[in-house]
Amino acid sequence: MTRSPADDLVLRMEDISKSYGATCALAGVRFELRRGEVHALLGENGAGKSTLVKVLSGAVRPDAGRMSIGGVPYLPAGPIDGKRCGVSMIYQELTLCPHLTVEENIMLGKEPRRRGVVRPAEMRRRVREVLDFMRHPEIAAEVPVRKLSVGAKQIVEIARALVDEARILVMDEPTSSLTLDDSEELFRIIHRLKERGVAIIYISHFLEEVRRVADVFTVLRDGRNAGSGRMADAPLEAIIRMMVGQEFKELFPRIPHDIGEVLLSLDGLKGRAMQAEIGLALRKGEILGIAGLIGSGRTETLRAVFGLDPIERGTVTIGRVRFEAGQPWERIEQGLGLLSEDRQGEGLALSQSIADNVTLSRLGPFSRSGVLSLGRRREVVAGLMERVKVKGRHPGEPVAVLSGGNQQKVALARLLHQEADILLLDEPTRGIDVMSKAQIYEWIGRLAAQGKAVLFVSSYLPELLGVCDTIAVFHRGRVVDSRPASAWDGAGILQAAAVGRTGADREEAKP
Amino acid sequence: MTSFRRILVWGLILCSLTAAAACRKKEVGPPSSSGRTLDIAVIPKGTTHEFWKAIHSGAARAGRELGVKILWKGPQREDDRAQQITVVEDFISRGVDGIVLAPLDDRALCAPVRDAVREGIPVVIIDSGLQGSDFISFVATDNTKGGVLAARRLVEILGGSGDIFLIRYQEGSASTTEREQGFLDTMMKDYPAIRILVKDQHAGTTTESAYQLAENLLGRFPDVDGIFCPNESSTFGTLRALQESGLAGKVKFVGFDSSPKLVQGLRDGHIHGLVLQNPTRMGYLGVVLAVKHLRGETVEARIDTGVTIATGETMDTPEIKALLEPEFFQDRD
Amino acid sequence: MSGHDKARIKILLNWLAPFLGLILVIALFSLMPEVRERFLRPANFKSVATQSVIVALGALGMTFIIISGGIDLSAASNIALSSVVVAYAVNVGAPPPAALAAGILCGGLVGFVNGGLITTLRLVPFIVTLGMMGIARGVAKWMAGNQKIDAPLTWINGLMAKSPRPSWLLLAPGVWLMIVFAVLMAFVLRRTVFGRHVFAIGSNEATARLCGIRTRRAKVLIYSLSGLFCGLAGVMEYSRLTVGDPTVAVGLELDIIAAVVIGGGSLAGGEGSILGTLIGVFIMSFLRNGCTMMGWPNYIQEIIIGAIIVAAVGLDQVRHRRAA
Repeated sequence: MTRSPADDLVLRMEDISKSYGATCALAGVRFELRRGEVHALLGENGAGKSTLVKVLSGAVRPDAGRMSIGGVPYLPAGPIDGKRCGVSMIYQELTLCPHLTVEENIMLGKEPRRRGVVRPAEMRRRVREVLDFMRHPEIAAEVPVRKLSVGAKQIVEIARALVDEARILVMDEPTSSLTLDDSEELFRIIHRLKERGVAIIYISHFLEEVRRVADVFTVLRDGRNAGSGRMADAPLEAIIRMMVGQEFKELFPRIPHDIGEVLLSLDGLKGRAMQAEIGLALRKGEILGIAGLIGSGRTETLRAVFGLDPIERGTVTIGRVRFEAGQPWERIEQGLGLLSEDRQGEGLALSQSIADNVTLSRLGPFSRSGVLSLGRRREVVAGLMERVKVKGRHPGEPVAVLSGGNQQKVALARLLHQEADILLLDEPTRGIDVMSKAQIYEWIGRLAAQGKAVLFVSSYLPELLGVCDTIAVFHRGRVVDSRPASAWDGAGILQAAAVGRTGADREEAKP
Repeated sequence: MTSFRRILVWGLILCSLTAAAACRKKEVGPPSSSGRTLDIAVIPKGTTHEFWKAIHSGAARAGRELGVKILWKGPQREDDRAQQITVVEDFISRGVDGIVLAPLDDRALCAPVRDAVREGIPVVIIDSGLQGSDFISFVATDNTKGGVLAARRLVEILGGSGDIFLIRYQEGSASTTEREQGFLDTMMKDYPAIRILVKDQHAGTTTESAYQLAENLLGRFPDVDGIFCPNESSTFGTLRALQESGLAGKVKFVGFDSSPKLVQGLRDGHIHGLVLQNPTRMGYLGVVLAVKHLRGETVEARIDTGVTIATGETMDTPEIKALLEPEFFQDRD
Repeated sequence: MSGHDKARIKILLNWLAPFLGLILVIALFSLMPEVRERFLRPANFKSVATQSVIVALGALGMTFIIISGGIDLSAASNIALSSVVVAYAVNVGAPPPAALAAGILCGGLVGFVNGGLITTLRLVPFIVTLGMMGIARGVAKWMAGNQKIDAPLTWINGLMAKSPRPSWLLLAPGVWLMIVFAVLMAFVLRRTVFGRHVFAIGSNEATARLCGIRTRRAKVLIYSLSGLFCGLAGVMEYSRLTVGDPTVAVGLELDIIAAVVIGGGSLAGGEGSILGTLIGVFIMSFLRNGCTMMGWPNYIQEIIIGAIIVAAVGLDQVRHRRAA
């Protein structure tokens, strides 16, 4: 710790421990943060990243350990106290009030006032100042936040932290809902924040992105320090090794499978939320990847196929039967299954049990004239949980208590139980840890080997390239190109997704 | 897991049962009725109107004089038949010695009264009638007579002719229906020169609903000459409407029952006559009759507590004053 | 402590909380010297059971609605309307079984209309049933000619008699009906496909749709079912009053909703149980009964019941926060 002057050290956390009941979330974790540094905090889900960050913000009180900010002991009584000491959080789910304007959101709780009366001119001035600093003068201060794109909302969120005079900014998966363009913009802003001396803790599952933006990293595993160093000195494989604690050979296990006849084809299909007609064909045993920017119509296409959005034009052909309309329950009967990209909002009924969530789409096997046999259902679900590796959990527990990765496995288990022949997977690996990801890739391969057809929507190019047989690229609601995966490379897909795109398509961000 | 839960449930049920049994064992049995004060339940139709407060005060006085305990409880709203039934049932469960009841409905309360009689609890009906003959006595105002008095007074101050409203109280309330009927019959039979513009509108149970009705009627017939209301809440609501529209004093107005606001209206000349019952006496006699019956005396089956009319001129005479401003029961003991 | 144990304890606590409330209320009055020996008598339990029938029947249906994430403000008006319909039918000389069926079906029809409007117009249940609350009450008053309907006594009036006619019944037939339907509905809710669908819709309607549940059809069914129970409650109300009273049960919908909520039902949907609801009903009935027996004024019981509702909902919130 001698290579930097002591006054550069903004934050020091030592021997931080925290247990929830018998589960140890953090055990003697050490973390240091310097002025103007972007520090990546890495680890699988459940490694203790979010607990550590919550300890820092004041939301969670550690059982043991010391913290100091700028050399002064720091013991926040709560998140507000933490904020006062210069720690600001930017969460995955944005925390803005959608009906308030940009400036009201930015200045919420710290409105400049004289004798209790807000001073609008002063407020406007300070908001303009901070938006100008971030080089986003185009964001109008008087617009309600709900009218902004996701990217712009994030900028407002960061602006709010800047007005708070944040010295330490924690960003938790900041790019998970951003388009490529908006992500690039975020990186530029991070750069400017660094110049201003703000220290940033950056949490992300996208390792390539972390490599680009972070200077140093700390890896946590099972609540302990698993390694740290300068980003430039550590190869990606080494970091993954630290995260998983074992040699990580096959992230994308190749399971041989044969491709057969067409099972699902879309002809000139246009759903209500789609921008244009789509034509696609999916064959038995095929994994068809769909790449594209957020808002390029991928999710909307899946929803129209599955009957969640009404079809305006065109047809969906399943097997040999042509449909011009359909409801989700009919599609399920026809052998389709959809994994929603919005796990918490749509994919799962969080307050319900694992067993309910897994079996909801197919209760038939346990019911005789409408009456369920709960014991038999429990057995079947326990078997499925074993298969998808949801560990140490009882089928009767509510899904809400599971980690993100395990929740996704429950959602997948539903498709397995449903015995769907055509699987529509929308961002199945978003926001989950590396191990869970690898397991999901493996199942996709196995399902294809069993002769199922898989439509795999993802924003993460390596997994598309690693898993799919064919990749189709969407742009502005149309299929730009569809080729065997071997004929694509990352740069090619990015280019196809971005061809003819102007900066103006921010409004296309998904509803 | 389920078995664990099941054991717990049964455990709980057992616990509560044994607790109940233990409680009962400790009791040596009810003390004999001779050596203890009697519990008399007095159940009004409601608890907020002045009329019921006066009944309460009469009942309480009888309780003090006779050395019996008065349990006073009514339904929360004055049209909640179902809840009054519940209150009667609960008092039967408690095993009170006698019940004094002002039934909200002449029919719906028959069954619980019959239950009480079956349990050996005598019931005195006050204020409004009840079908059947399960009760030992009926103590009430002669309501028809009250209506007749009101009609005569209204005609007297109108000078024999004019257009009038009859604002009715509430559907299914026997006592007020009798007043309305007495009023209507007298008008139609004896005074053909009086035109009744409105006779089928109900004011409802609250002052507010009466106020709204009167306001609407006055808006439609601003030239009305006289109004009659058959109880306190409708009288007060109508008085407020008259005062708000500036017609108070101009429209001849006869009401029923008394309250400080109505007395003030009488004094100001906004009300030209108030038919008065004797609620204090009603409450008093109700309890007295129940106790007499319990002590083995015979009681009269029907007692009329009388009606009188108060006017601006007579309101300060001692006997009218006593009826206009009865002692109200204040503290709850 | 393992996850299993924790989950088990949590489930147990959720499930026990209302029970504790009921035991507390009964214990409270059992300790009062004035009423103790009378309060614990079987006769008193019998009369509390009879008094609970109407709210309990309404609450059975309401439990389904609240679990599915909806609300029915028209329940009490529906009860009044159904009771008027029965009285009306008896009065025009319909045989009692026909009158009874007419009352129940009328309730079901109101529920069906509620469900239909909610699903086809995509309106919030609160608004639709708020409107229906006025409509049903108004129709009831209109049918009754703004009066109560005095109908001749029939065996229907024996349904709620505290001393039932064949005396081996022990409890009023209405109480038995309540018990039978409660067991049946608990079974439907826990052990049938329809019951699981009700939970799924309330927990997350988007998920329910995604899983192929025909949410609209299920909702119409839920509201119709609840309407049928209101109709049955209306029959019981008529049986108890012996008259068809269009002004009966004003505000009763709030008692019904309170019972479900006290019993662990979440207004956010996805949670609740028949057992809990019945316990909620009995907590309120025993409180009323005890307060009356003590001769306490109405405001005391109003304050206590209010406090219990807030406490129950508070508990609900705490549970949710812990789950999140």
